[in-house]
Amino acid sequence: MTEEIVFKTEADMPYLPMSLGTTLVNKTGSWRYIRPLYVDKTPLCNHHCPAGTDVVGCLALIREGKYKEAWELIKQENPFPGVCGRICPHPCESECNRGELGGAIAIHTLERFLADWAARNGERGMSNEVPVTHSSLLVTHHSSPVAIIGSGPAGLSCAYHLARRGYAVTVFESLPTAGGMMRMGIPEYRLPREVLDREIADIEALGVEIKTNMRVGDNVKLSDLLEDYQAIFIGVGLQKSRKLNITGEDAEGVIHGLEFLKKVSLGEEVQVGRKVAVVGGGNTAIDAARTALRLGSAENLTRNDTKSEVTILYRRSRAEMPAIAEEIEEALAEGIEIRYLTTPVEVLTASGRVTGLKCVKMELGVTDESGRRRPVPIEGSEYTLEADTIIPAIAQEEDIAFLEAEIQEPESGEQPLIGVRRGRIFIDEAGATTLPGIFAGGDIATPFGTVAHAVGSGKRAALAIDRHLRGEELAGFPPPDEAVHAVPKDVDPTVVRFEDLNLAYFEEVERPEQSQMPVEERVRGFKEVNLGFSEEEAQAEAGRCFSCGTCNLCDTCLIFCPDVAIARTPPLFPPTFGGDEGGGYEINYDYCKGCGICAEECPRYAISTEEELKWKK
Amino acid sequence: MEKVIMGNHAVSYGAMLARAQVIAAYPITPQTQIVEMLSELCAEGLLDAKFIKVESEHSAMAACIGASSAGARAFTATSGHGLALMHEMLHWAAGARLPIVMANVNRAMGPGWSIWTEQTDSLAQRDTGWLQFYCESNQEVLDSVLQAFKIAEQVLLPTMLVLDAFVLSHTQEPVDIPDQELVDSYLPPYHAQYKLDTRDPHAFGALVMPSHYMELRYKMQKAMEGAVEVARQADEEFREVFGRGYGLVEKYRLEGAEVVLVTSATITSTARVVVDELREEGHRIGLLKVRMFRPFPAEDVRAALAGASKVAVIDRNISFGHGGIFAEEMKSALYNGSHRPPVFGFIIGLGGRDVTPASIQGIADYTFEHDAPEAEIIWREVKVTSG
Repeated sequence: MTEEIVFKTEADMPYLPMSLGTTLVNKTGSWRYIRPLYVDKTPLCNHHCPAGTDVVGCLALIREGKYKEAWELIKQENPFPGVCGRICPHPCESECNRGELGGAIAIHTLERFLADWAARNGERGMSNEVPVTHSSLLVTHHSSPVAIIGSGPAGLSCAYHLARRGYAVTVFESLPTAGGMMRMGIPEYRLPREVLDREIADIEALGVEIKTNMRVGDNVKLSDLLEDYQAIFIGVGLQKSRKLNITGEDAEGVIHGLEFLKKVSLGEEVQVGRKVAVVGGGNTAIDAARTALRLGSAENLTRNDTKSEVTILYRRSRAEMPAIAEEIEEALAEGIEIRYLTTPVEVLTASGRVTGLKCVKMELGVTDESGRRRPVPIEGSEYTLEADTIIPAIAQEEDIAFLEAEIQEPESGEQPLIGVRRGRIFIDEAGATTLPGIFAGGDIATPFGTVAHAVGSGKRAALAIDRHLRGEELAGFPPPDEAVHAVPKDVDPTVVRFEDLNLAYFEEVERPEQSQMPVEERVRGFKEVNLGFSEEEAQAEAGRCFSCGTCNLCDTCLIFCPDVAIARTPPLFPPTFGGDEGGGYEINYDYCKGCGICAEECPRYAISTEEELKWKK
Repeated sequence: MEKVIMGNHAVSYGAMLARAQVIAAYPITPQTQIVEMLSELCAEGLLDAKFIKVESEHSAMAACIGASSAGARAFTATSGHGLALMHEMLHWAAGARLPIVMANVNRAMGPGWSIWTEQTDSLAQRDTGWLQFYCESNQEVLDSVLQAFKIAEQVLLPTMLVLDAFVLSHTQEPVDIPDQELVDSYLPPYHAQYKLDTRDPHAFGALVMPSHYMELRYKMQKAMEGAVEVARQADEEFREVFGRGYGLVEKYRLEGAEVVLVTSATITSTARVVVDELREEGHRIGLLKVRMFRPFPAEDVRAALAGASKVAVIDRNISFGHGGIFAEEMKSALYNGSHRPPVFGFIIGLGGRDVTPASIQGIADYTFEHDAPEAEIIWREVKVTSG
C-alpha cells in the first residue's frame, strides 16, 4: 500500500497528475525486444557503378555545396569524372530508384558538373591539390617500378591507383598521345580534348611517366619490360575493327569505324563523300555516323552545298540496338537516317571505288545466346543503297600479336605463358594473368566495353599489384562484374530497393535534362553537344536524390522517437557527411523501448532492427 | 481597424491576435474557414505558429494537448460531429489542466444529416470540464477568443467559445479588429508552471489511485467556481482596454419585467427586437442573455431574475428524455433560492430552423397567457396539424 497523503491546505493539493520526481529513473530500455541500429546500406547507383563511385555520398556533398569534396570523392575511385560524366552509359541511372518517381537522377550530368567545376576552379590553381588532398593514401614510396602497356582508361586507372600508393609507374603508349579509346574512339563533340588532357595531366602530376610512340613488341620488347619492372599491367584494348567479310570491302571509299575515328582524332585528312553508309548499331557506329556528318557538313559548307547524307544500317531493330539511347536520339535529331533490319551483302564498286551497297532486309527470328532475337535475311529482299563512303563498325577485335611474339619466342611450340581465351587475355578475379607479375584489364581482358568498366578493371589490377608486390595473397577479390574500391566504404552490402523507401517523404519531381547546342549549329563542327548543368540545376537535381540506405541527417528518427532516446552526436558518423556540421545519431538504449518507429519512419532505410540478444534462442 | 467579416474569420483574427503558437485542426463544415484562414496566415508568415494537419478531430485535440503540455498557446476549432469525436480528449485536456482554447460552430447532430445550427453538440460536452461561452455577434466572437485565453490561462482549464452555424459563421458583419499592441497589453504571453521538457522529464497524466483521484477533481471544480470571478474580471478589463464588454450574463430591459425571456447566442438579437416592440406596446417584458454557460453563473442569474414572475427559456437544443438544457439550468439555479418563478421551457429552431420575431412573439404571448407551463417542454412550430 502506498502511504496516504493528507494535504495541510488546498494550496498543497496538486492540480494535475504529474510526477514530482524525474522519469529518468524509469529505464524503459529494459522493455526492448527489438533493437534499432543505424546501418548504412548500399544504394543501387553505388552498387552498379563499374568504377566504384560513391554516388550517393557525392550527391550529398553537392547538396551541401561542397563541390570540391564531392569531386575528390569521385577521384578517390575514378581519375576520369570529366570523361565519365560525359560518355559513360551510366548504369547507375538505369538502376536509380528515383526512376520510379519522376525519373532517374541525372547522375552523369552531375558528375560532369563537378569535373567542370573543378576545372574552372583549377584555373586558380586548385586542381594540383588533388594528389595532395588524398595524400592519406600515399602510404610509403615503393621502389618497385611498374610498367603499364596502353594508356587507355584501364591502363591510366591502374597507373593512377598505383601512383597514389607510391609506386613508380611508367606507361607505354604506341600512339603519339595518351588516352587510348577515350581519345581515338570518342569524338570531340562528346568529349572535348581539354577535358581528357586535364584528367591525364592530373595522373601525370602524381609522378606517372607516359612514354608515347612506344609500341611494345616494336620499340620495346616485353621481355625487356619483364626485366626492368616488377609488375606489368596490360591494358591495350581492342584495336581492330571486325571486317564485314563481304565482297568489295577493300575498295577505295571503305574505311572501318575505329580507323576512321582515330584518323579524325589524330587530325589526319579524311575524305567523306556525299552519301555515307555506316554499318552497325553500337556506339562506334553512331560516333562514326555523327562524325561523318560533321566532316561532310564542314566540307560541303565550303562548297556552299548541301550536307552529306548519312545512313546507319543495323541488322536488328531499335530495341536491340546496343548504342546509348541518348546518342541514338541525338543522331536522329541531327538528320541521320537509321535503317533497321537491314544488312549489307556486297560492296558495289566501279573502277575500284565504292558506288554503293547491296543490302538485304532482315527479320527477327529465334532468340540467340545474347538474349536477343537473331536477325535472318528475308529471301529476295535485296536492294541497292547508293554510297560513296562506307564505314563498317560492327565490332572490335584484339591485336595481341606482340604478346605471342614475346612470350612464346624463347621456346617455340609451348603453350603461351599468358593464357588467351576467345581472343581475350585470361585473367582471374584479381586481374592476374597466368604469368605471375603480369596483370591485365580493360577490353583486352573483360567483356564489358565501357570506360567505367575499364577504370574499375585497372583499379582492380592496381590493388592486386600492390598486394603482389608486398607479397600478399591475391584471393578475395569480388567477381569481375562487381566494382572494387580504393577506399572501401563501411556499409552493409544489402542493396536498397524502391519498396524499402518510405515514400511518404518523397514527391514526384521530374528529371531535368541538360541543355544542348542547337542541331543546326552543332552539326557544323566538333563543339561539345551537351552543355551540362548550371549550379542551380545541379543543386536541384542532387536534391531529388532519395539517398537510398544512406543517413543524411534528416532528423526524421529524432523527431519521431517517442522516448526522446535519439540524440545528435558530434562528427564521426556517417563518414561521408563528416566535417564541421557532420555527426550522426546516437540511440540511448537505456530508454529506447524498441518500438521500431525510427526504422519504420526512416525515409531511406538507413536504420535496421535486430532482435535483442537476450531474446535470441 | 473595422472590417466586414464573417464569424468564422472573426475567430481566425482572434486566434491570430492572441498569438496562438500551435494550431492543430481538421476541417468540418461550417467551421472550415476558421482554420483555412489560420493555415494561410501561418503559410504567409503573418502568424508565427505551427499549423498541424491531423487526420481527425480526436487527433486535433490530442495535438493541442501535446502542444499545451509543452507550454505552447494552443488553439483549434471544430463543429458538431467533430466535437463529438473529440469527446475523450476534451476530458483529457481539462483533467490535465491545459488552457487550450477552441471555437465550436454549433451544428445539429446527425442523423438526419444536418449542417445547420443547434446547440446540442456543445451542450452535450458540458460535463467535460471546459468553460463555455455562447456568442451573439461576430464582434463578440473575436473578443471572446481573446478573453478565453485570458481566462483559461488563469484558471488552467480549457475554454470553448461557441457560435451559431451560418447565422454567425458565414454571415458578414462589421467587426473592429483591435491593434496587436492593444491585444498584447491585454493578453500577455503564456508561461506554463509545469511543462513537458525533455531536459527535465516528468510523467504527466499517469495512474492515480482512488486515494487521491478525488482531490484532483475537487481542484478542478474549485477552479471552475473561481472561473466565474476570473471571467468577470477579464471582461471588465477588456472593457477598459477595448471599450466594450459583454458580461457573464446580460440584463436587457429587466426593470419591472413580469416576463423574462432567457436566451443565448444569436436568438438573443431577435428577442431584443421583440422585447423592444412589446415594451412599446406597454407589456412588462425583459430579456436575460446567458453568455457564460460553464461555469454556470447561478448567482448572476438569480440576481437578474429577482423581480421576474415568469421565466421563458428559449432552447435551440434538447436533452432527450428531459428537456431544453438552458431551461434545466435555470430551474436548477433557482430551486435553492428564495424566489422561484415558474420556468417555461420552450424548444424551437432545432436543426437550424429560423427563429423569427414572430416565433418569439408567440413564446412571449404564451407566457403572458399562462400562469404556469402546461408541460415540461413547450414545443414551438412543430409541423403537425392536430394535438
